[in-house]
Amino acid sequence: MKVWQAGSHLSDERGARVADWSWRRTRRRLGLLVRLTLPYRWRTALAVVSLLAFTVVGLAPPYLAKLAVDKGIRQHDLHALALIVGAFLATGVATLALSSAQTYQTGWVGERVLADLRNRLFGHLQQLSLGYFERNRTGAIISRITNDVEALDQLVTDGVTSLVQNTLLLVGTAVVLLFLDWRLALATLTIVPLVALATAWFRIRSNRAYRRVRERIGLVTATLAEDIAGMRVVQSFTREPVNQEGFRGINDRYREANYETVVLNGVYFPVVDFLSSLATAIVLGYGGYLLIHHEVTIGTLLAFTLYLANFFDPVQQLSQLYNTFLSAIAALDKIMEVLEEEPEVVDAPGAMALPRAAGNVRLEHVRFGYGDLPEVLHDIDLDIPAGTTVALVGQTGAGKSTIAKLLARFYDPRDGRITVDGHDLRDVTQHSLRRQLGIVPQEGFLFAGTVAENIAFGRPDASRADVEEAAEAVGADDWIRELENGYDTELGERGFRLSLGQRQLLAFARALLADPRILILDEATSSVDIGTERKIEQGMHRLFAGRTAFVIAHRLSTIRDADLIVVLEDGGVVEQGTHAELISRRGVYTSLYGDWAAHVA
Amino acid sequence: MARSKKQSNARTFVRLLGFLRPYRGSLAFSTVLAVGSQAGAIAVLVLTGQVVDELRGARDTHRLTALVVAILVVGVVKAALMVGRRFISGRQALGVEYDMRDALYARLLRLSFGFYDRHQTGQLMSRATVDLQTVRFFLGYGLIFFVQHSLTIVSVTAVLFVYEWKLALIAVATTPLIVATAYRYSERSHPVLRDVQQKLADVATVAEESIVGIHVVKSFAQEDRRQERFERSSGEVFELSVRANTQRAIYVPLLTFMPILAQSAVLIAAGHMVVRGGLSLGGFFAFNLLLNMLVAPLRMLGMWIGQAQRATASGERFFEVIDEPEDVADPPAAQPLPRGPGRVVFERVDFAYEPGRPVLHKIDLELAAGSTVALIGRSGSGKTTLAALVPRFYDVSGGRVLVDGVDVREVTRRSLRREVGVISQDPFLFSASVRDNIAFGVPDVPQELVEAAARAAQAHGFVERLPEGYDTVIGERGITLSGGQRQRIAIARALVIDPRILILDDATASVDATTEAEIRAGLTEAMRDRTTIVIAHRLSTIALADTVVVLDHGRIVARGNQSELLETSPVFREIHDHGLLQEIGVAL
Repeated sequence: MKVWQAGSHLSDERGARVADWSWRRTRRRLGLLVRLTLPYRWRTALAVVSLLAFTVVGLAPPYLAKLAVDKGIRQHDLHALALIVGAFLATGVATLALSSAQTYQTGWVGERVLADLRNRLFGHLQQLSLGYFERNRTGAIISRITNDVEALDQLVTDGVTSLVQNTLLLVGTAVVLLFLDWRLALATLTIVPLVALATAWFRIRSNRAYRRVRERIGLVTATLAEDIAGMRVVQSFTREPVNQEGFRGINDRYREANYETVVLNGVYFPVVDFLSSLATAIVLGYGGYLLIHHEVTIGTLLAFTLYLANFFDPVQQLSQLYNTFLSAIAALDKIMEVLEEEPEVVDAPGAMALPRAAGNVRLEHVRFGYGDLPEVLHDIDLDIPAGTTVALVGQTGAGKSTIAKLLARFYDPRDGRITVDGHDLRDVTQHSLRRQLGIVPQEGFLFAGTVAENIAFGRPDASRADVEEAAEAVGADDWIRELENGYDTELGERGFRLSLGQRQLLAFARALLADPRILILDEATSSVDIGTERKIEQGMHRLFAGRTAFVIAHRLSTIRDADLIVVLEDGGVVEQGTHAELISRRGVYTSLYGDWAAHVA
Repeated sequence: MARSKKQSNARTFVRLLGFLRPYRGSLAFSTVLAVGSQAGAIAVLVLTGQVVDELRGARDTHRLTALVVAILVVGVVKAALMVGRRFISGRQALGVEYDMRDALYARLLRLSFGFYDRHQTGQLMSRATVDLQTVRFFLGYGLIFFVQHSLTIVSVTAVLFVYEWKLALIAVATTPLIVATAYRYSERSHPVLRDVQQKLADVATVAEESIVGIHVVKSFAQEDRRQERFERSSGEVFELSVRANTQRAIYVPLLTFMPILAQSAVLIAAGHMVVRGGLSLGGFFAFNLLLNMLVAPLRMLGMWIGQAQRATASGERFFEVIDEPEDVADPPAAQPLPRGPGRVVFERVDFAYEPGRPVLHKIDLELAAGSTVALIGRSGSGKTTLAALVPRFYDVSGGRVLVDGVDVREVTRRSLRREVGVISQDPFLFSASVRDNIAFGVPDVPQELVEAAARAAQAHGFVERLPEGYDTVIGERGITLSGGQRQRIAIARALVIDPRILILDDATASVDATTEAEIRAGLTEAMRDRTTIVIAHRLSTIALADTVVVLDHGRIVARGNQSELLETSPVFREIHDHGLLQEIGVAL
């Protein structure tokens, strides 16, 4: 049984460590992004073109300011000034149109790609075999669809644009400066190595610091999630002071880690700011010297100062991007890992649909073990004629539930085969097989939605009368009608207002409504109250009529009426027969149920 | 309606500011530093203008050098002020965040079971993460930037007026327009962005449900329908995100464009003034550079207004939790539960989870100290609810519940619950070591007592066989426990606190016969000298009880020992006959 803990997906830390920087891996990453974007290539192209144009146009205004001074004001040519200002205004209008188009198209494509990726991930996950879900923590899997896709969101919508735009702006500005006056440009650009050095230091330190922050906020969130989900237990055991204390510690450690980033930011950004003052001083000092010697115009000085005002923005923005970029790649890798996961159980090529089954089930020399773990079923041989009710009994861990999972082909046997009406399960489609199976697990899992929707889960088109009939058959009709809206009552988070027994009954009704040929009850009524269970047992013959039924139960009353009782021990069949036969044999079965009977006084 | 909404928003906003109160000092100090570095920024530009005039006029290299050095000095001072400001306000921002989270957690610890029945874990988590994040971002950083940007706008505008008031008038002509547009943008985008978050939460819910219930989805071959459901949710996220993005595509470029209008007008007008000699070229430089300095803060101002609104909305949800009344609170001057043998009395107890839908009616029941009472009845008859009133998980709607003669509402919850061990139907274990889970109620209990409790609950054997025994962390590296194992750990957890009263909610339903027999043996030991309430479905469990109480629709319909009930209660007779079948079956 899987331990599900509410909110555990939130606790999954978003690690920003990228394990593999190899070109092969990078190509795979790009490949996925390209494949996702390809259907929208025209919009993408439009976005790229408008982005480039918008950035280039953005370089014009300081140059126009230079012209305004040199050609207009200093020449006292007001006509030229008006023309230049007109051009200035025109670049503004062009920027308006281009950046609008770029934002819209980039956003559209980005969101579409993310939606497609989400859908694809979800679809792929649903194809994966049950083994995958048993090996991986639920929280981690959910995190792929939620946190990781959202981490990509930042990159796709803002990151890429910002990367391209800022790089272009940086390079473009440098080029324009060199073009305006190469001596002054070179003198000013001596600052760049200093900025690069500061940024590299900051990048490395802050990457480490932010990783620690993420780890610790992950712990804060995980603790919160678990404590909220388990608050009833916390309060039952009066743990409030202990928990408060513990949470303070976690909260404080997070604050400490975060303070380190404050210190780093608090040093880096002022340093960059000082470097920009230094650049201004160089422009004015050296530029002033050049001006005195008539080597540059005053307009050029103005252009330099204006360009420099915008020169340091891209540097800072790019350094901010680094972390976004790293966590996005880490997220992308995790997503790709899921997409590359192959389902273990797949339909064979040319698998046919299982025809409506009579229900003759055979297990022939079946051996099985989970993954590469030791074998848990050893050479199971069973022949169940159609319409038989079989009880599988044995101690916890004897292999009963594993047989049930093999019957539904959630796993394939390591050896031997399982057939239904002579068809090997591996030769028919999973869909057609499972449509004819009804499995009722112990947990009685419910979905958000109404009671009726939950019962009709396997047959969404069932009429209300059919739904009610199924509920009636498992003795749930009475209490369902007493719920505030009867069959239309919305069940909250996994039906939290219902007792375990009630959830089990709904799951049972759900299986019956699907009208399965083969019914598998895995401890399906263990928590149902005795009156209802009694009713079910009495109606059992009707419920099971014409179906092959596998019943896993601990309770004697459920077992004793079975046509065939199969006793399992340590993964092997040790006894089989009817209740009377097995009792008279005084073997394992008697020892199992002797225990029970001894306490019924 | 709209007005009262505005008023309540304002109230929430003021309450949010209350979180800053402990940091008044550092807030004031960092504001002073911000003003200083702001003045530095303006000074650099003013000095630049003077350099230009110097170059145009005297061309005195000494004066030029002096001005350039002045720029460098101002640059250093400004940077130093910025470092101080960032350190101080960063510490304050983190402090606010810490305080808010601490307050929220403290509140969550005090809220009653009724609150957790009404609220889903996911909703509460979104309060504790998303909403808290928004608020702390605003209080921690947003507000500081807001102040800083407002400061920039006011001071730069003032300097502009000092330079040349006519030009300044032209320059600020578009200011109201920019702020208004930015505000309108935030007004319009906020509901859309909120919906995006909401829909993202839906996507997570659908995914979570499908993955937790994957075996059910696969069993019923419903993958396609789940996919459809998922795509509907993710499609909604797409639609709304595109809508938000369209707003961004309209407003953000517009906000960038508006200052250009003013700049163009200033260029023309200032150009004319320089040509006619009304303004020096240095003044022209400084003016344009200062104007450039206004662009970003003006654009941000609207954004921060939007931030403030989002923070207010989030703050409202945050305060909803903080303000949630503690339905089950300790009365003032509550005393600890006095020592006693553990006698429990229900006196004419009524109870309803929601008004108008009573679950228990006039329950009168007395449990002698050390006795065991079995509650039986159909699902939904009120068994679990009745038991939950003893540790005061809920308060009665009428009547009272007494433990050793004291109304449970008059003693501290802590002392009461210390004496009540609860084992629920579906036990919740924490992802901590087995030891910590068992010692949950008494964290510093010695290992021997933990093991003794585990032995009594028949858990010691399998715990020893776990990879790291008692130190095995549950839920880690795929270590999961079966239902029966979890239940036995829950029993040990309840036993280790050595309670006066034990409540067992059908704790042995899903274990096999051998294990059940073992647990039962352990329980018989554990129940000695404790008052025990057993919610039972099986005759074997009922057999542990001195008295059996039959509940139906929230009323006691029969009570007595087993032989009495066999005569008087058809419900009990049914269970008994059914259980008897088992006995006969084995005897055959």
